[in-house]
Amino acid sequence: MKDLLQIINKEFLLVARSGYGVFMPVSYLLIIMILFNISISFVDKKITQELIPLMIWISCLLICILNLETIFKEDYEDGSLEMFLINKKNIESTIIAKIFTHWVSSNFPVVIIAPMIALLLGLDSHTAMILFISLLIGTPSLTLIGSIAAALTISLRSNKILLSLMVLPLYIPILIYGTNAVNNSYFGISYQGEITMMILLFILFLLITPFTCAKALLVALD
Amino acid sequence: MMTNIIIETKDVTLYRNDSKIFERISIDIEKTKLLNIYGRNGSGKTSLLKILTGVTEPTSGIVLNRSDDESLYEKIIYVGHKSGLKNNLTVNENLYYFIKPEEQNKTTKIDTALEIYQMMNYKNTLVKNLSHGQQKKVSLMKTIIADAKLWILDEPYSALDAESIKIFDMTIEKYIKQEGSVVVTNHKKIIENSWSKNYQLN
Repeated sequence: MKDLLQIINKEFLLVARSGYGVFMPVSYLLIIMILFNISISFVDKKITQELIPLMIWISCLLICILNLETIFKEDYEDGSLEMFLINKKNIESTIIAKIFTHWVSSNFPVVIIAPMIALLLGLDSHTAMILFISLLIGTPSLTLIGSIAAALTISLRSNKILLSLMVLPLYIPILIYGTNAVNNSYFGISYQGEITMMILLFILFLLITPFTCAKALLVALD
Repeated sequence: MMTNIIIETKDVTLYRNDSKIFERISIDIEKTKLLNIYGRNGSGKTSLLKILTGVTEPTSGIVLNRSDDESLYEKIIYVGHKSGLKNNLTVNENLYYFIKPEEQNKTTKIDTALEIYQMMNYKNTLVKNLSHGQQKKVSLMKTIIADAKLWILDEPYSALDAESIKIFDMTIEKYIKQEGSVVVTNHKKIIENSWSKNYQLN
């Protein structure tokens, strides 16, 4: 546990020094939302409100892909990846710590801000709360899936496009469950099933990701 | 039977994309010994080190942990071509996060390493502001501050000035006397003595 906390502490310090602040993903979300609203300004307001959760979910999904490749890239380039892969005891905990730090710095600000934007755009508070919950459960799964792809493509010089192509199809189930949960809440239908499925998917990816990433990173270094 | 061997390789062969890197390498890494693996560029020195550390699987042959410690690989310090240092952290922070959290006297250990390599003035300097040689010295300091059983160092002498080489050789000698084992790669042979030997990789 102490090891994990030390790694998380170091990763947060690195994020703070890298200049990639929490404002970056939030600004990105705001820009996408403004563009979406401009493009559908001619559509009836009632329909627009139904589309808000969808727009927010797609925006968050795109933000999740934004800097996925950075999860392990710096470690690969500066040689520290080799060192933590040799020290077999800490591989999984290091991977989890890196993914957690990445999610907190890149996605969590969006999870907080997105429901507020939804409220500003006229979504009711209960649906905004479900949007928050669905993002809180869904975005970690997106980061976990993305980290596997990031590990697999780490040795490629320009892996960004390939990474996006790999992860986007895998994001579809979470997108469907996330948007369905929010839509069901908007129309007053039960959404527990979708939320449960998202929790199960999160647990599944949480269990498989550290081992899959470790294997993928070892293959990349081979 | 008591043995001094901690890692043994038997007929290790490595192929990359159907081309042979090396074939049937059998070497022993012994306790309280320095093994200098030398050879020309491209002879597979780094690949052999990666096999010894367990990062790379050989095409054929086996690598055995012959020490009495099952967690030997957790006690290996590897310093490769790349520094393994974070550019946006200071020298002190890089070394601090390298030491395991449960270990005591972190600051003393770091200060001792900085003093040995005469880099105390750079303690709070960001690594990105150091020269290549200075970065190399900081990465070699990890060997001093970590409680390791085996140092595996890939071309540790590159980028070091004459004085730093002398300091580094002294740290190796001291470590060997404290029951440590060292494997280094090099372009040339070293003078053999009771605790050091060479292995040529063709």
